[in-house]
Amino acid sequence: MEEQQHISTAFDKDLLALNEMVQALGSLAIAQFETAIDALATQHVKTLDQIISNDAKLDDLEATIHEKALEVIALRSPHAKDLRQVLVALKIATILERTGDYARNIANRTKVIAQASNENIPGVNIGRMGQVAQQMLHDVMRAYDQHDVDLALAVWRRDIEVDHMHTAFYKEVLASMARDPNLVATGAHLLFIAKNIERIGDYATGIAEQVHFLVRGAVPEDSRPKADRTSKVVGV
Amino acid sequence: MDSTTKPMAASKLKAVDVSVFYGEKQALYDVSLNIDEKSVTSFIGPSGCGKSTFLRCFNRMNDVIPSCRVAGQIIMDDVDLNSPKIDPVLLRARVGMVFQKPNPFPKTIYENVAYGPRIHGLAANRQEMDFIVEDSLKKAGLWKEVSDRLNDQATGLSGGQQQRLCIARAIAVGPDVLLMDEPCSALDPIATSIIEELISDLQNRFTIMIVTHSMQQAARVSQKTAYFHLGKLIEYGDTKEIFTRPQNEQTEAYISGKIG
Repeated sequence: MEEQQHISTAFDKDLLALNEMVQALGSLAIAQFETAIDALATQHVKTLDQIISNDAKLDDLEATIHEKALEVIALRSPHAKDLRQVLVALKIATILERTGDYARNIANRTKVIAQASNENIPGVNIGRMGQVAQQMLHDVMRAYDQHDVDLALAVWRRDIEVDHMHTAFYKEVLASMARDPNLVATGAHLLFIAKNIERIGDYATGIAEQVHFLVRGAVPEDSRPKADRTSKVVGV
Repeated sequence: MDSTTKPMAASKLKAVDVSVFYGEKQALYDVSLNIDEKSVTSFIGPSGCGKSTFLRCFNRMNDVIPSCRVAGQIIMDDVDLNSPKIDPVLLRARVGMVFQKPNPFPKTIYENVAYGPRIHGLAANRQEMDFIVEDSLKKAGLWKEVSDRLNDQATGLSGGQQQRLCIARAIAVGPDVLLMDEPCSALDPIATSIIEELISDLQNRFTIMIVTHSMQQAARVSQKTAYFHLGKLIEYGDTKEIFTRPQNEQTEAYISGKIG
């Protein structure tokens, strides 16, 4: 269904501008995360530095979105779906900015691993886990753009896959660390990196909930399936 | 029931299949809704949607328009207000009305308030009348501003004060219900805020229905909102719901300022 226009064209322009800024922030966050996952394999220091310095752009854009949302609320008094659109833009912007923080953290830790030239741990699943989380982010931003609740719910349900991978990876790294004390430093960083990826998966579900709220006026009623068991692991 | 839960408001008035015709032209189509007691209900919608016509059904103000015919029932406390047994003059004492433009009589402030009670014989002597005048002006939030000049001409008051005087005049005859037809449309933002605050105060004593063109005003002052379009009631519900997640697309478009 084609969206109706406001009588005030300036109001339409404001909402469009807000939406475009959130999409731009989404593209930046996804790019940062993708580059961080790639650089985890290549350990290319220049790329890692670039990710770290790029993070300021996401912070700035989030601040601009907050400013624009404030302006729309103050000047346009949005109601109903318009109001939800502004609130959702604010919330998604915060989530995306934090996603960027996690990407930067992954880059920071990868840099330490690369510079220490420690022995690498064959992290069989971490790349795959990163890819699933990336796909979730891509899909959920498309769901936001197209107001597609079904796609948002598919992302929301898919997070369990990342949780399973995280639990498996956690056990695997812990076992390697137990076998060889030389791997402890690298292993510890990898555990944090894996946790960051798992959190990004959670964030994608947070955006999915916002898309549901935007379109339907309420977040999903069911509780989300979860399977991250790392907090229950006591030994290897 | 949980002690923090607000009890469900009782219905004070009930409209059942109300239709209004101006000659051949139908202005309102089978409107049915319940009005909660001691609460504020706002009627919103574009010009010509029938909201003022509907408001005027509650005190038979449409009777004064010769070509106007009302069908259906308006029930207040189990009595049909359209019954021939109902005296419209007595009804209008129980269901007071405040209009768009403040319309004080060209008399003193005191006389404006005392006029209604005098006609209805509500005061036995001057002392009782003084009490009614003071009490009504206090309830309308005007007493402090006029207590030392009750014998001044009402027309010398500011627009906002005149409107509060009209509210005091309506209150003076002891109504249960107050109808307000765009009561702030001729007022500046400060006078509007004062009237809105007064409405919030008055809802503890009266059942209030208000027609407004200001969406924000409906959102600020009322607990229930009814949206009308082309003489039909499109959506009626809690104001909070209407302004955050309306069920009907036409309501959504109207409150969002959209055309389709």
